[in-house]
Amino acid sequence: MMDSDCFSLLPAVCLVLADPKQSPPDDTSLEKLLDWFKELHSHSNGQVLFQHQPCLLEFISSVCTSKTTDPAILSFTLKLTGLLAATPQGFHMLDEGGLLVYVFEREAWGVCDLWEDASVRSGWLQGLLNMLKHQQALGFLCGNGLIKVILQLQNDRSLFVACLANQLLVHILHFLTSSNMTNGSDVVGSSETSLRSDWVSVSSEIMNAVVEALSSEDHPQVLQGLRLLSQVLAQCGEPIISTLWKDVLVPLEVLINRGSESLIQTLITVLEAALGTPLLSKTEYKVEELLEAMLGDGNRRECFQCAALIVKLEKCPEVLKRKATDIILLPLHCVSTQPQAEKEMNVVLKEQLSQKASCISLLMQSLSSLAQLAHTKYLFEDISVHSITSSVLLLLRMCSGHCPTSLLHINAFTHLIGCCKVQRCGLDTLGALSVYEEILDLRKDIFGVLLDYLQSPDSHATVLKKTFQAFKRWIVCSPFPDLLQFISHDLFPVLEKRMCDLRWEVRDSTLEFITQLTTALNSNSGFTEALHTSGMVSILLSSLADAEGYVRASAVAAVGEAVAASFHQTVLVSNSKLLEEALVQMMAILSQDTEGFPRRAVVHAFTSWLKGSHLTMGLESSLSSVLSLGGSDFDWEVKMLTLELAEVLMEKTLACCPYAVQNSGSSEETHFTQALIKFKDFGLFDLLFNSLFDCDRPVCEKACALLIKLRTLIAEIADLDNSILFLNLCGNRWGDEVQGRYLNKQQAKASVCVKNGATGSDEGMDCGLHCIKNISLPNILQILDLDDMQKMLTLSSDHVVNSPRSLMEDILSAAQHSEENIVDCY
Amino acid sequence: MKLYCLSGHPTLPCNVLKFKSTTIMLDCGLDTTAALYFLPLPLVHSPRLSKLPGWVSKDGAINLEKELKECSGRVFVDSQPEFCLPEKELLDLSTIDVILISNYHCMMALPYITEHTGFTGAVYATEPTLQIGRLLMEELVTFMERVPKAQAATCWKNKEIQRLLPGPLKDAVDVWSWRKCYSVQEVNSALSKVQLVGYSQKVELFGAVQVTPLSSGYSLGSSNWIIQSHYEKVSYVSGSSLLTTHPQPMEQSSLKNSDVLILTGLTQIPTANPDGMLGEFCSNLAMTIRAGGNVLVPCYSSGVIYDLLECLYQFMDSANLGSTPFYFISPVANSSLEFSQIFAEWLCQNKQSKVYLPEPPFPHAELIQTNKLKHYPSIHGDFSSEFRQPCVVFTGHPSLRFGDVVHFMELWGKSSLNTIIFTEPDFSYLDALAPYQPLAMKCVYCPIDTRLNFHQVSKLLKDIQPLHVVCPEPYTQPPPAQPHRSDLMLELQPPPMAYRRCSVLGLPFRRRYERIHLLPELARSLVPSEIKAGVSVATVSAVLQSKDNKHVLQPAPKPTPVPPSKKRKRVTEEPPESLNPKPLLSGAVPLEPFLAMLHKNGITEVKVEETADGHILHLQTEDVLIQLEEDATHIICDNNEPLRTALRDLVLRFLQKL
Repeated sequence: MMDSDCFSLLPAVCLVLADPKQSPPDDTSLEKLLDWFKELHSHSNGQVLFQHQPCLLEFISSVCTSKTTDPAILSFTLKLTGLLAATPQGFHMLDEGGLLVYVFEREAWGVCDLWEDASVRSGWLQGLLNMLKHQQALGFLCGNGLIKVILQLQNDRSLFVACLANQLLVHILHFLTSSNMTNGSDVVGSSETSLRSDWVSVSSEIMNAVVEALSSEDHPQVLQGLRLLSQVLAQCGEPIISTLWKDVLVPLEVLINRGSESLIQTLITVLEAALGTPLLSKTEYKVEELLEAMLGDGNRRECFQCAALIVKLEKCPEVLKRKATDIILLPLHCVSTQPQAEKEMNVVLKEQLSQKASCISLLMQSLSSLAQLAHTKYLFEDISVHSITSSVLLLLRMCSGHCPTSLLHINAFTHLIGCCKVQRCGLDTLGALSVYEEILDLRKDIFGVLLDYLQSPDSHATVLKKTFQAFKRWIVCSPFPDLLQFISHDLFPVLEKRMCDLRWEVRDSTLEFITQLTTALNSNSGFTEALHTSGMVSILLSSLADAEGYVRASAVAAVGEAVAASFHQTVLVSNSKLLEEALVQMMAILSQDTEGFPRRAVVHAFTSWLKGSHLTMGLESSLSSVLSLGGSDFDWEVKMLTLELAEVLMEKTLACCPYAVQNSGSSEETHFTQALIKFKDFGLFDLLFNSLFDCDRPVCEKACALLIKLRTLIAEIADLDNSILFLNLCGNRWGDEVQGRYLNKQQAKASVCVKNGATGSDEGMDCGLHCIKNISLPNILQILDLDDMQKMLTLSSDHVVNSPRSLMEDILSAAQHSEENIVDCY
Repeated sequence: MKLYCLSGHPTLPCNVLKFKSTTIMLDCGLDTTAALYFLPLPLVHSPRLSKLPGWVSKDGAINLEKELKECSGRVFVDSQPEFCLPEKELLDLSTIDVILISNYHCMMALPYITEHTGFTGAVYATEPTLQIGRLLMEELVTFMERVPKAQAATCWKNKEIQRLLPGPLKDAVDVWSWRKCYSVQEVNSALSKVQLVGYSQKVELFGAVQVTPLSSGYSLGSSNWIIQSHYEKVSYVSGSSLLTTHPQPMEQSSLKNSDVLILTGLTQIPTANPDGMLGEFCSNLAMTIRAGGNVLVPCYSSGVIYDLLECLYQFMDSANLGSTPFYFISPVANSSLEFSQIFAEWLCQNKQSKVYLPEPPFPHAELIQTNKLKHYPSIHGDFSSEFRQPCVVFTGHPSLRFGDVVHFMELWGKSSLNTIIFTEPDFSYLDALAPYQPLAMKCVYCPIDTRLNFHQVSKLLKDIQPLHVVCPEPYTQPPPAQPHRSDLMLELQPPPMAYRRCSVLGLPFRRRYERIHLLPELARSLVPSEIKAGVSVATVSAVLQSKDNKHVLQPAPKPTPVPPSKKRKRVTEEPPESLNPKPLLSGAVPLEPFLAMLHKNGITEVKVEETADGHILHLQTEDVLIQLEEDATHIICDNNEPLRTALRDLVLRFLQKL
């Protein structure tokens, strides 16, 4: 339907686009148009698009011959032509008329200097890339000497063009190695493949260019060459990669030995790509050797960067990784240990550590690599995790101004005092190290340092956040006997102070930390008790009135967790009081808070309480208020969360041990009916129906899904009385809507009846045209076409505006308007 | 140029600079830490303090029961607290011409200097410095006079006795120079000598030097000083701050190109960052109030308290502590709060612009209006009827030895719910608390010192590039407690000159030039001749007149015809006979042209000998030697005057004459 509409508009659009007097539509419109063509093309199953649309061919040829073509239109045309020529049939048709040569030979264009425009060059490359799906296309490329042009474009001044040229070259090589282009050996088990002789010249032309680029003195050219090389290695197969590798090995070695800092990243990318290929297994290809060469002896400036990159490599040979690890740990080691007389200190390292900028970046590299290794639980060999952790601890102490005099041999210390970057990095690493069980005995030191950071008035908010994260990891990983003692005596007083911090970010992250801690130590009754007895809970409650919305939201979450934790405990005296107090304050937030975050948090807290437990008396009484307040909130996310709460409520209530009920004689049906009555009391139906007609689409969608679920359940219980649970339609918005739909349906029914000449039953007519006050729930669900509604809702809200049809209409109307404007000018 | 250092205290300096013919005192800070050796002066009768046992040495040989009391395991002097004055013996204080004050904390010793010493000079200070300084002095006097002590303890100061006392009394230094507080009359008399100056105002001192105050950013009206002559410049930097607080920001560029920079008043707590401490202050305060306790903040009645109140103004609402009352108790509380609002021109830009709205520059006005902040002259009177707990009390003195704070220490010290938060960095909080031990109250030390830290100062010095830096000795080494912190000291090239109490430093630069004015008629009579491009020279004959350190060249008076009736009495009075002076020569005698000239004049036999300084020409026939050197030419010619004159004239042809 849609497409045929569009096809009827296409000729007019082509005329407008080809008209040099019209200013071209904006880029996005053209891109969208291309997307549509692409989609059509992929759905056409070999059908040639322009067989039915001759206007396209006319458009292409008129654009190319025109003397006044706009670059944007030409670029579009090039891409479109490539797309149309992507199938052999399309290619033939375009080629037969000579149109293809006409399009891609720039000398043939009406305006030659359009080539100067980067968008045209990029369109040209993109067109070829689109076309290159079959052998004929490749033949076309080679036959017309286009490879040379592409190679030139590799060093284009426009980065986009250069990148695209690279991509195209890789695509060509990849295409050459794809199955239909190689002489697959007939011998079973042979992995040897070779290129067909007619394509050898193409590949060697490209490969020679790579070798030439790598041997060049021109830095950007070398970079482009390396990028192409890494892409080829990552995307192409044999025999291309081994042939290419043999050729580039010598210039590559030269580059690596030269050790230029700006090439390191790219060289490592090349070698990383090589690691993923069969090249690795053959020693003559020297992949490992080259990587090792990049590391050197650990006494070149750039070796640390290499080591940091190598540590990150996934498929790295073990030996190499060990060497890189040793090197990357050197800066950390050097700063945090005494120099040994017999060991000559690495001169390069010492020099770098003495300068502030390089010192900090080196240590950060060292630390983040260490964290990386810890994530994989790397097994260190020559050095113990114990001493590494001690070094990290020492470094963190140095950052806060403590330094044993034995370490003053290096003046890195003064660079480190108060350096947030190193602090954050160090704390991350310390947290990551928690995976190693063998350093549990350092826990006391670790907690000491972390506590110092929490206590220090100079700790930056972001540093505190990292401290909390590290703390959490260490507390969670290994509950130890004195943990509770530590938490209530050492940690809680500091947290208490941090909750009164001037900076809201700190208050916020403190509350988040408490929430996480409570969740993690949920099963620990001692912790819950400590939470109550230390007065922490009352501080949490007072944080509910914080001036900053985010903090209130975090406080709600923390209180929520504290309450949830108390559910698990057997009668704590303060429990019911806590719940009571929390409920009062949280309901006040939900009804009065001016910011969305705290209100969202309240609904979320209710949801998790409900998920984690059965309904308690205290909760039940507030639930209906939450549903009604949350459902009528201004914030759509609050409404969504309220619907999630409703969902959990439904699940919990309906799943409430039906078998037990059955035993006592009452049926599944009564249980269900009771549940429905309960829902009605909670105001659940008001919520669902109101949300169904909400102005926010996701809310409607969610409500619709829940109602469909309910409808299915009702249908499943076969002998359910259809007249159960009447709902009052009067006085609410959704009631009017349902009534309206009901009347519409009745009228339609009546008109059908009249047409058929049937008198119909009086009863139906009577009640149909009267306003009704009460309808049963199953009836309402029937009246509402929920499935239809759901279908409509799943379409994205801009589905009308975004269609190709509207796009074309836009293009046409813009053209019309511009004509009008011209007339106006005269 | 010399610097006499009368105080070794880095932040309470008192130095005297002798520069040209002037003697300038730079600040006169009063070290009040000596008060810590004394017992607190309770405002309300304290049974605990009044029943303290007197101190008797173990063997009973020394009995100072009346003077020394044992309290909480330490011995304190039971007498009116005394203060350590600047050194008076190093220099005759009556010779001081002017005293330059940099901020109100650095003028507290003024009455000791200006009164009873023969001082006849002037004191220069900005208006806020004078007014707030006056408040602080009056407060100090009131604190002392409210609790009179009948006797002054002196026996313990006896060297023989002091040696036997328990520490820390035993180690107190210069105890004989300690003095009790001055009186109101002395304060008034001292302050009457103050002359007000404004920032960048140039004040001439006897025509010899010019002094200029510059904003230093530390407190209301605080200033650094520039002391300069035409060719020398000394900068005095004392108590400066680069942080954005209430005062006008620090003026830095005028400090450039100093020959000597005297650097004092850096932060006393270099490891405590003021922002962090402010945060610490607020969170501890909030924690205490939430738990139902009271907060006591011993502080000065001006300065950081304004920033604290401003910070709390914003914080209290956000911490949901809006209803907690703040009390500010000081004899000068009202004046301090009001004065701060009227010195608009001395405030930072942000606060200045508020005045035009018009709004009070400091938010404490609003706190007072809304009854959140109440101020009282003392705990007696209205305060006692309106006092409501839990609350926050700001009161002095930070030493905890006198003032209303003593009462609150006695009142709240026993409960662990209460907290005392120290914000002033001048006193060791442990020493301050010593006579109140054992203490259940929580103690928090958040010293807020906004003065320059070492990092800032090294940046500043890099920027302003003084030739020499003079600073107190402690700044040249890391703090004794943290010997590894080499970042907490001044590292400069050339190294700074360090001083301590009683040092006399010869400042390392010589004066080389003096400016002299020419009168116009004299200038008109000059005949300049150009000796090289752009440089002209002329000879001057004139009379130099020096008066008020100004030097003027006047035309020489014409010899007045002697009145015939009077006899000449003294030969010496006769003006010297004015002869036409011989012209001055300049230039060099070139060898080759000179030889040619000699040849032309018939002297042909010349033997030229090269020497280290030039050449020796031997005219062999005439037996004459001509020594041509760079700065002299000699013609050695025995008994042949005509020849010598002829040769001289030949030489002169090559030289320029003035």
